[in-house]
Amino acid sequence: MSFLCRSFLHRIKDEWQFICHDAWLKALLFWLPIVLAAIIWGIFSAGIARDLPIGVVDNDNSSVSRALIRNYDASPTLAVVEHFYSKKQASNALKEGSIYAVVIIPHALEKNTLLGKSPQVTAFYNSQFILIGKLVSSALLSAHGTYVAQLETFKDLRNTHGKIEQAIAEALPISYQITPLFNANTHYGQFLVTAIIPAMWQILIIATVVLVLATPLRRTKVEVWLADVNFTEVMIRLIPYVFIFWLQGIIYLSVFYGALHWPMHGSWFLLIFAQLLLVIACVSVATLFFFITLDATRAMSLVAGFAAPAFAFMGITFPTTDMTFLAQLWRALLPISHYINIQIEQVNYANSFVKSSGSFAALITFFSCLYIAKLVLKKRQRLNNVKLKNECVDENIDESIDKKIDTKGDN
Amino acid sequence: MTWKKLISCEFYAIFTNIPLLITVFGGVIIYSFLYPLPYINQIPTEQKIAVINLDHSQLSRTIERMADATPQIKITQQVYNIDQAKASLLSGEITGYLLIPQHFYRDLLLEKSPHLVFAGNASYFLVYGTVIEGLVRSTSTVAAKVKVSRMVMKGDNIALASTQHTPIGMNLKPTFNPSLGYLNYVIPAVFVLILHQTLLIAMGLLTSGQYEDKIRGKPWSELQASYWLVNPVWKILLVRSVLMFVIYLVLLSYYFGYSFEYYGINRLATIPDLMSIIIPFLLSVIFLGSVIGLLIPRKELATLIVLLSSLPLVFSAGFIWPTSNIPTVINIIAQFFPSTPAINGFLRLNQMGDSIENLVGIRAQLWWLVGLYASISFALMTLKQKRLNTLIKPR
Repeated sequence: MSFLCRSFLHRIKDEWQFICHDAWLKALLFWLPIVLAAIIWGIFSAGIARDLPIGVVDNDNSSVSRALIRNYDASPTLAVVEHFYSKKQASNALKEGSIYAVVIIPHALEKNTLLGKSPQVTAFYNSQFILIGKLVSSALLSAHGTYVAQLETFKDLRNTHGKIEQAIAEALPISYQITPLFNANTHYGQFLVTAIIPAMWQILIIATVVLVLATPLRRTKVEVWLADVNFTEVMIRLIPYVFIFWLQGIIYLSVFYGALHWPMHGSWFLLIFAQLLLVIACVSVATLFFFITLDATRAMSLVAGFAAPAFAFMGITFPTTDMTFLAQLWRALLPISHYINIQIEQVNYANSFVKSSGSFAALITFFSCLYIAKLVLKKRQRLNNVKLKNECVDENIDESIDKKIDTKGDN
Repeated sequence: MTWKKLISCEFYAIFTNIPLLITVFGGVIIYSFLYPLPYINQIPTEQKIAVINLDHSQLSRTIERMADATPQIKITQQVYNIDQAKASLLSGEITGYLLIPQHFYRDLLLEKSPHLVFAGNASYFLVYGTVIEGLVRSTSTVAAKVKVSRMVMKGDNIALASTQHTPIGMNLKPTFNPSLGYLNYVIPAVFVLILHQTLLIAMGLLTSGQYEDKIRGKPWSELQASYWLVNPVWKILLVRSVLMFVIYLVLLSYYFGYSFEYYGINRLATIPDLMSIIIPFLLSVIFLGSVIGLLIPRKELATLIVLLSSLPLVFSAGFIWPTSNIPTVINIIAQFFPSTPAINGFLRLNQMGDSIENLVGIRAQLWWLVGLYASISFALMTLKQKRLNTLIKPR
């Protein structure tokens, strides 16, 4: 037993030496994840979009229209950056993308307001960029609503004999209180970064494991390598990597919910356990990809097809419930989508293990890829042995293998 | 070597490179169906919510019915307190709730401006936005009704009251994507990125397959006859870029033509206008791809690098998160990838109907990138070729 243990430790040491000598692997395991995560965090570091540029066309130039424009500008989300003199100019700026919305104030706005004719202000906002467009439209609506309520309150003060509360109530018969649950200030960092980084993490794990598995093929031919490869040994090689990836996951969690103080309500234990399952699931998928192709480049193409669009399927930006059946099916094939369920259920909802057990089970199901990979390898080896035998009918197989290795070694 | 021979050699190199073919043809075609798949339904509708009605007046039931009638919301549960609503929210049965407080109707009659409480699950912003939009819309209609009836009670004319209940109206018009469809939002931008990334991978695989470190292990005799070592670098780069350009022009037409038509996405630009952006876009990507191919020691790393860069490139392109809110350093770095100006340019030209005269800056930037990456790849390739040739000669 102690001998086994020692040889195991020895192997981990060997693997560590190997990692230290491969600059690319070192990058993938240590500094690249940090750089990538920092970039994504950097993009959304503002958290809440501020001062989105909008333009106005003021056809009235009255005190009411100017007050209205000041109100739009006062909204933290908006900044009135340009006054246009014609609709044409404004529409060009909107098409150019230099402003996200243009508000057109009609002629005789003040006069019609005083006459109680309810004039209409029209705002065109860029909905090609939906996320920005929605932010702009709701900010415009609330800034406009505030000003209109003010106007109305002043008007109503006459009827209510100066009672301000009653005047407000007349202007706003029903008021609402809107609560964004689980993300109190609708912080985009908290919303997107916590999903984008796991999506990149999945790509990183699968791709790195493929690279690691393919290292023996850099020096040896596939046929030679296949002849005496042992599946269990290959798997043991991967153990240190599992721990490194797991550590990466734990680090990003502790940065989000520790250093950045984003709220975390659930159990750290369950979440970190789910990360371990995700890492093993990704390693299993990667192993299967590699043994199907037995070639680093082709396996990497599979990885690209499988993992690159994962973020779209995670159901963070576009809800899963509104996806078609086919999309949901593809979603179920991605380990990360089960993990993200658990992450949200823990971080936001603090659900019990029983409620998330479905996602845990799904992650464990991916381990079966290892078994399939083993079967694939066995079949490959059988075919390979037949091929080798045919190739060396009059030669001794061992000799030919030795020779091949020798010639490779020379170069 | 004659031009004809060189072209046929290059053609052979491209069409016998299986991983390249899988990425270029397989990847581009599969992605054209896979990527839009989650967004086929365009907008989230009928989000399930719960109602906590503590008032039980007729008006409160009208509010419920009006909310249920919006396309955004579907009321599936009636519960009696917030805890119950919270429990079904945590188990995923509902995505939000509406609370109508006790004495709502009475307070309304007393003109006390009673509060309605709306809550949505902000773990998913699109869901949250949809729920709140539905609730605000339906209740503001109710509020307007209340106002009108008050005005009528005070003796106003009903016809006037129903148009004049608000001093200044606001008419919000979504422009360029009037349905606010998600497909129209994501696909035009992401398709440009898919072309960008697959072309980078293809060029990376092709170039590094010829100049990677492993090549030194090949027999010298085989290498000596290789067309990429015999021909001058400028000739190879020229032939290669023209061939890849032609292949990608076909694929790009498939995306911008058939796919956009199939998914009903705006196509406002004319073909000559589009071409004036397409040419520098594809060329700059081709040369960037060969720079990557020349820098990496093993060809599988091409796919890896491109794969890892995808998400940062999407989110820094400016169509999801406003560039004005992204740190300047990231904005500057992003400008060196052709995808950033290209996504912007294609969206403006094809989806937002901007005129080509306004895109001079983007076109110039893309041509600068063509120049930059063409000269870098020329320099690197010359270096590598020389090194490999000196390795071969002594024998």
